[in-house]
Amino acid sequence: MYGKYKLRDLNISVRGLRIWSEFEDFYRYRRVLENSEIEKIISKDSEIIINPIEPVNLPKGITNYLFIDFEKPIVIEPDSTTEVFTTFPIEIGVFVCKDETLEDIDIFSFVKPKYALYGDPKGGKIARYWKTRFFGKIPQLDPLEMGVMKLRIYNLTNSWCEVSKAVFDVYGMKIYYNEKLVSSIAEMKIHSKKVAETNFIDEPLFKGMEKAVELYVARKIPIMSLKMTMEWGI
Amino acid sequence: MIELLDLIIKAMDLTIYGEVKLRDIIFAFIVIVAVLLIAKFVTMSLKKSLVDKMRKDQLQILLKIVYAIFLLLAIAVVTPILGVNLTGLLVAGGIVGIAIGFASQKVVSNFLSGVFLLLERPIKIGDQIIVGNVAGFVEDMSIMSTIVRTYDGLYVRVPNEQLFSSSITNPVANVARRFEYTISIRYSDDAEKAIDIIKSVIESHPFALKIPEPSVFVDSLGDSGVNIVARIWAPSAVWFEVKMDLLWKIKIELEKNGIEIPFPQRVIWFGKAD
Repeated sequence: MYGKYKLRDLNISVRGLRIWSEFEDFYRYRRVLENSEIEKIISKDSEIIINPIEPVNLPKGITNYLFIDFEKPIVIEPDSTTEVFTTFPIEIGVFVCKDETLEDIDIFSFVKPKYALYGDPKGGKIARYWKTRFFGKIPQLDPLEMGVMKLRIYNLTNSWCEVSKAVFDVYGMKIYYNEKLVSSIAEMKIHSKKVAETNFIDEPLFKGMEKAVELYVARKIPIMSLKMTMEWGI
Repeated sequence: MIELLDLIIKAMDLTIYGEVKLRDIIFAFIVIVAVLLIAKFVTMSLKKSLVDKMRKDQLQILLKIVYAIFLLLAIAVVTPILGVNLTGLLVAGGIVGIAIGFASQKVVSNFLSGVFLLLERPIKIGDQIIVGNVAGFVEDMSIMSTIVRTYDGLYVRVPNEQLFSSSITNPVANVARRFEYTISIRYSDDAEKAIDIIKSVIESHPFALKIPEPSVFVDSLGDSGVNIVARIWAPSAVWFEVKMDLLWKIKIELEKNGIEIPFPQRVIWFGKAD
């Protein structure tokens, strides 16, 4: 489903999702998924890009943090690097584009969003909450619902550290996709038993994967920092 | 025509006071208007270019500073033209200031409160505050007063002295806040089932936070029913939406499962006369 389309040729129907275009007096983009429905008038026939985006926009954008809560923690040995796989939720963005300019016209998801507070109410972060687990190899996932995250965990301390959660600033999230897989690569550097730093790496999991259009690039939001310091526990 | 021009040129040389002539006053006026127009243009341009890149309160402060710089510049340019000696003004200003200070304690108090409010920054533009019986959004903060737009859209000017000496409640200063409902069910209903239903409705709402976990429990045994309290954390930005949304959903879901909100009731026993 992900990829580039001509607006006039748009006609997608998958798992209760329907996306199509109509032309009467104007071009109309239309989408129906469960109880949500959207219709947008587009002035001219344009190129449409549909791809996975940073999962923090539904039901409305109130944060730019993603909180991954692991069902079972992983214990990392001192001064070591561990590579694991985990999952992240997917929101799908629809962009209309001309030359280099992009505009998001629709965001939807097959996954119900949930939010949580990381830290304390005064200085903590509201974040998109996602409960998942660690995988030793790439799990089989529905690319419309979940993406695979390769997480490289560096334990920079000289003691064993337990990781039960990871919080990311999704302004820096780089998502790649193909027909079967949506992926992202991230790092977590453990500085102490309670403090770590996370960030995303701009590289695909496999060669040939397409880079997703980032919502924050499309919206031209100035980004100050791409790293997140987890200071309320890991 | 030439006579008129001659008249204007002569009028320009007319001495108004000291060595200041009419042309100096006109020139000073033109300078002030020009500088203010430039200031307006610069602040408007800054506003347009920075409106989506800066926080609203910071942008307001920046615009005010830029405007004030232009204003000071205009004064600095104009005062020598008008023959005003700033040193003399400062001395005179000191004496006059003391007199004015005594005469207008409230104004000075408001001014100083405004300075302290700007330094302490307990609130900022855009915050929601409750001060005394005024509750609403902070629209503007100046050195003398703070403008609050109440929830019903009224304009309220709160003198800074009042703001500074009152306790200020900011309901959304923290990123998350908690609210609670008391939901009454009949004594004949299963309270545990009701708790499970309430928990599942809360769980289904995206902005009812997963962490901190909501708590739902039997709080008291009331006159007409069992009182269940639900405590829910929500992001401060949307807490009121969540509060409005959830209660009705809980009510509908309880009723779907045969659990009802009780009406006030009283059991009356009629004693029999022996």
